[in-house]
Amino acid sequence: MSTFFAPALVLLFQEATAGRADVMLHSVKNPDLSKFLVIGALLFVIGVAGVLTRRNIIVIFMSIELILNAANLNFIAFSRYLQDTGNVNAVAGQVFTVFVIVVAAAEAAIGLGIVIALYRNKETIWIDEIDLLKW
Amino acid sequence: MVLSGWEAVFFWVFAIAAIFAGLLTVMARNAVHSALFLISSLLAVAALFVLLGAEFIAGVQILVYVGGVMVLFLFVIMLVNVGAEERGGQVLNKPRQVTVSMVFCLLLVLGLLFAINVGYKGLQTRDEKAIASAQALRQGQQQDLHRGATRTSRITTDTERVGNSLYRFASLPFEIASVLLLVAIIGSVMLARTLKQEAAVDDLAPDVVAAEAARDPELAETPPIS
Repeated sequence: MSTFFAPALVLLFQEATAGRADVMLHSVKNPDLSKFLVIGALLFVIGVAGVLTRRNIIVIFMSIELILNAANLNFIAFSRYLQDTGNVNAVAGQVFTVFVIVVAAAEAAIGLGIVIALYRNKETIWIDEIDLLKW
Repeated sequence: MVLSGWEAVFFWVFAIAAIFAGLLTVMARNAVHSALFLISSLLAVAALFVLLGAEFIAGVQILVYVGGVMVLFLFVIMLVNVGAEERGGQVLNKPRQVTVSMVFCLLLVLGLLFAINVGYKGLQTRDEKAIASAQALRQGQQQDLHRGATRTSRITTDTERVGNSLYRFASLPFEIASVLLLVAIIGSVMLARTLKQEAAVDDLAPDVVAAEAARDPELAETPPIS
């Protein structure tokens, strides 16, 4: 498997640094938009991994919050980027983030209500035991 | 948008903190630990928001997420999940599903990183001139801002601008969001009612009441309110 992924990693590294150490050091000392996007992507993938692997339904909800938060980070980073390209009133990303937070709060309230109702009926929080809709 | 100096140092500190706390959220055995790590991850991301000049969103993040949503999570964990891990049971799904998910996540992260690298390069070459000409303009605007009381920083008009666009250009979505929240409140109250509460407002089918009353004699004694 490592022989398969190693060329891809080398390609990514070369793309990011043009193959030079001083370029890499400069980009570490001066993080720009792409660094924020990478952080957002990593948080997103961690959230996806949590949703796919965990059995506890509450931890799955928390992973979904992590995913939404990664999206928020991308929105804010691009909002700042648009402000810096001369688009002075480009705060659409921040406005959208407010709505994402509102929807996340509503989702958490409804989802946790469902969890409580399920626990009352089925006495479990493990998702592989909640299979009422399985045919 | 290039951070430098102390901003860069704080960026790396909070970025690594956010990623580590996120990883520990997913990996912690105990759900309460998961929630606490998620709180630290959200706080680190709020700090990144401040570095990006979005103070209002950082405040909203801390108030709504950390102060509201996560407290709700902790309450539900305490209602539902007291020691579920200790009582036995796997934390993760079946091994095969975990392997497949991990491979999927690895491919996903490689694809995302590749897309960011390639796409950002194109974005840079496209906006090179615009960034250079906007930088001087932005510095001039920074000079015009009022100084804070300590004279070390300037008071930005960022929050003002977010509020302006929120009410001027997004007022209809704003109202829809308030309706959504109302529906969510009513829905979660309806969902979390006990059988007894449902019977008290006469909201159950008669045969369900009869079947449950056979199990729980107390239920038959609760008369409907209406």
